[in-house]
Order: sequence, then structure tokens, then C-alpha cells
Amino acid sequence: MAESESRYLKPLPAISSLNQPYWDALKRRELRMQQCDGCGRIWYPPSPLCPGCWSRKFTWTLLSGRGRVNSWVVFHQAYFHSYENDIPYNVVEVELDEGPRILSNLLDVANHDIRARMPVEVYFDDVTDEITLAKFKPRASE
Amino acid sequence: MANFDLKDRTAIVGVGNSQYGRRLMRSPIDLAADAIANALDDSGLSRDELDGMIVSFGSPIGADADAIAQLLGLKLRTYNQTWAHGRFTASCIQWAAMIVNAGMADAVACLASVSFSGMRRPMMGGASDREGAREAGGGHGEDPAYGMTSPGAGAALVARRYFDRYGTNSRALASVPVAFRKHASMNPAAIMREPFDVEEHQQSRYVCEPLHLLDYCLINDGAACVIVTTSERARDLKQPPVYISGMQGLPGGSEEFIWAYPGLGVVQQSVFEYEAGLQPVYKMAGVTPKDIDALFTYDAFSILAWIALERFGFCKPGEAPSFTQNGRIEIGGELPINTNGGLLSEAHIMGWNHQVEIVRQLRGEAGLRQVTNAEVIQWANAYGDSIIYRK
Ligand SMILES: [Zn+2]
Repeated sequence: MAESESRYLKPLPAISSLNQPYWDALKRRELRMQQCDGCGRIWYPPSPLCPGCWSRKFTWTLLSGRGRVNSWVVFHQAYFHSYENDIPYNVVEVELDEGPRILSNLLDVANHDIRARMPVEVYFDDVTDEITLAKFKPRASE
Repeated sequence: MANFDLKDRTAIVGVGNSQYGRRLMRSPIDLAADAIANALDDSGLSRDELDGMIVSFGSPIGADADAIAQLLGLKLRTYNQTWAHGRFTASCIQWAAMIVNAGMADAVACLASVSFSGMRRPMMGGASDREGAREAGGGHGEDPAYGMTSPGAGAALVARRYFDRYGTNSRALASVPVAFRKHASMNPAAIMREPFDVEEHQQSRYVCEPLHLLDYCLINDGAACVIVTTSERARDLKQPPVYISGMQGLPGGSEEFIWAYPGLGVVQQSVFEYEAGLQPVYKMAGVTPKDIDALFTYDAFSILAWIALERFGFCKPGEAPSFTQNGRIEIGGELPINTNGGLLSEAHIMGWNHQVEIVRQLRGEAGLRQVTNAEVIQWANAYGDSIIYRK
């Protein structure tokens, strides 16, 4: 009962007309980003046009959900009350195989075992009925 | 391309500051009044001769330009104000130089007045900080949905990336805050004056790992002001002018990140070996990094000093860890940095306290901290803006 009544108190993403398709895709358990129909570039955060060639013709392409840890930090101070029970917690910058980098949390690993270039894969975390976050878990390198 | 016509055409003719301290229990407008009045006294200009103002970092942490002007009874022809971020210090002074050159004002007070410690704790990075909710995220890389918040976290992300890329660590980085605290120990105005060593740095708690508490700047209250006018007018005033010899603006774009130079490979930056080249600020001033007698940089976090050294060609990417050892960046060393103690130890006035110290150094007024024969001093930041001053 406590479980079903507990509300998610952590900050939620700010949804805009530009990033709505990104969050809609995560809810369907798909990691999608804009890909330029002209030059093929894939970019993040969502933009009204291709930052490379300024084309406004793009497709929300399905990504592999695979990447590597590019950098990471461990918070020893909670800036939000809702994170107080989580410290120390990690925030990783994942470089996706397709190029863009996103911030996330790496699950199923001790903070001191996180390494640069560690292979990771996406894990869809349904934190509320409306919002699914793209978190990551380590994957075997191949 | 830097405009060589502006070289030495403007100067700082007065500097002033309020008391620096924690929980001063004085409003930012009150502190601003001290800084402006002290800068006017220093310059010999009267209140009515001050007809321009640029405020860096207004509300909610500082005083806004319109309120300062109204409450202090100023008669301004031109004023402006930046977004509440510390990266705009040089830009404010650069705009002042352009404004007086354009004749839109004759004497411009550039200042910041802040009450960080008067704010509720979560102001920076917490629930009441709106940075992370900006469209496309926060300016320091914030993404609160994943717990990524606070300016220091963005700097920590850069530090980890830098450590990994260049094979260095927090112990090597300690030399930066250790040096700045040593400088602060010679500065009666500094809030933190007790020196510490590398071991104490290593033992201080992590805030956002890999950055320790002693890698973080102070949280305090205070105000600092500099007055800019034309060099022609400056020569008739009370103090010897400190000339603005060269400048370059604040760069933006996806290859830039507030705490890193292009090529480092954080946020959406590409990865490549950055080459500083001869930056426009040097071309405009007609000097090279070898001519710089002291360097001042925005040190909200210790790692930023490394990034600034490499961005401006004092050393190559990856060389800052060795460059900053063995007293080289201390007073008496080859390139003293932040002789006031910086944001890390003197006070966090967004770099405005550094501008005041630069002027005092070039006038020979820095007391125990005086850099011998200081003639050319540079303000240069991790994020790429810069001013070169000369006496
Ligand atoms: Zn394109």
C-alpha cells in the first residue's frame, strides 16, 4: 500500500514542444533522437533544425540504446531533499554509439567501479505514469 | 577579429569594494553603495559625473541596475545588466569600454553586489534554482531529472574527463587552491586566510566527486566596482590609469561549454587536440603569454585555472597539472595567479574582486602581495573571454 501511494518527489524533466517527441518515445521504451534527412547528423538536445546544415527536415530515429561512459561524477551533497537518501549517487555522461551524449544514472554498479569508456546500455525507468527516464546499466563489452 | 583601434583607448580610473564576509546581513544595494562610493572616491570623479552603469549578476542574488540607480540618486544615460552568471565579468567591462568609446556615457561603473549567504541554501542547484528547467538544460550542464544540478557538478564532470584524458588527479589539482589560499593569507580583505596543504585538500570532504570542498569557491556577501572612462579623460584624473589594452568576447556554440575549452569532449563537444594559437586578445594588446606578469581567472572551482592556462596558451593541453606545481603560480613564481586569493579564498564577488586586485597590482598598491614590476596583467577565463590590462 505504501508503495502504490508513494509519490515520486524527485525533479521531473521540463517538457517543451521541441523535446516532447523525445519523452514520448521514452515512454514507449524507445530512445529516439532527431536525425537530419539531409546530412544524416544525429543531435541532442532537441533543436528546431539540424545544427549542422540548418535543414528543418528530420526524422526521430530509433537509437541502439548502447554507449559508453564518457565522464561521471558522484554527488556527496544533496541539492534536493528528494535525493537525500541516495547520496552518494552517480551521474554519468553517456556517449551514445550514435554520437550524442546524455546525462543519466548508472545502475547495478558501485560508484567506485565506474570507469571511463565502460560499455553501457539503456534501461527505461518509469518513474511516474507520464515520465520514463533513460537510465543505464553496464553491458558486457563486445 | 579584435579591433586594434580600441587598444588602450579606455582605462579603469577607480576601484572600490565593500567589506567581504559571510552573513553580513546587509542588502546587496547597501553593499553596492559602498563599492560605488569607494570607487568614485578613488577616481576623483563626482557622483554626477557617473553617467553609465553595467551590473553583473542582479537579482535574485544581487542588486539590479535600475534599483541601484534609483536608490543612490544616480543620473545615468546608459545602463545594462547581465544574466545572473559569473561568466560575464569581462563582458561588462568590455561593453563599458565600447560605450564610452561610442559616446553613450562618459564614465561607467561596472559592478556586482551579491548576498549569496543571505539566500536560502538551495538557491544554487536546488529546488528553487530554475537553471535546470531551462529549455535544453542548464548553463552548467544541469539535468535535475537525473540529480545533476549545481554549477560545481558541471565543473566536476569536466575535472573527471580531464583527469581521465590526461592521466592526472585531484592530488595534482590541489596545487591550485593551495596557492590561492597562500595568497589570501597575505590579504587582509580575504575571508579565508588560513593556509592549507595538499594533504588537507585531499582530506576535505567531497562535494561532487572528484571535486573536494577545498576545490569550491566561497559563498559570501560583498560588492566590488570599477569605473571605466576614455584614456584621454583618465589622464586628468586622480589615479594613474590602468589601460584596457586588449579584449576578446565570450564564445558560444555547441563546441563550447562554460567550464571547458573546445575539443575536451564534454557535453556535446567534439574530441580533438585543442590548440590555443595566438588569441585575439594578445593580437589586440600586442603581447604574447610570455609578456603577462600575472594572470587572473574565474576560479569558482579549482579545475578552471587549469582550463584557462591551456585555453590561453600558457601551456599545452594536459600540461597544466605540471605547470601549476612548485610555486610557479604563486607570488614570486613565474606566473602568479589570483594574488588576491580568488573566489576560492578572498571572496566570491564573481571575479569583480579580481578586477579590483588587478588595478591595485598595476598601481603598485598590493602590499605584501605585490608582484614585482607588474606592468601587464591578464584576466582570462576557462570559457574564453579575456582582457589584457597595462599600466
Ligand atoms: Zn543536417
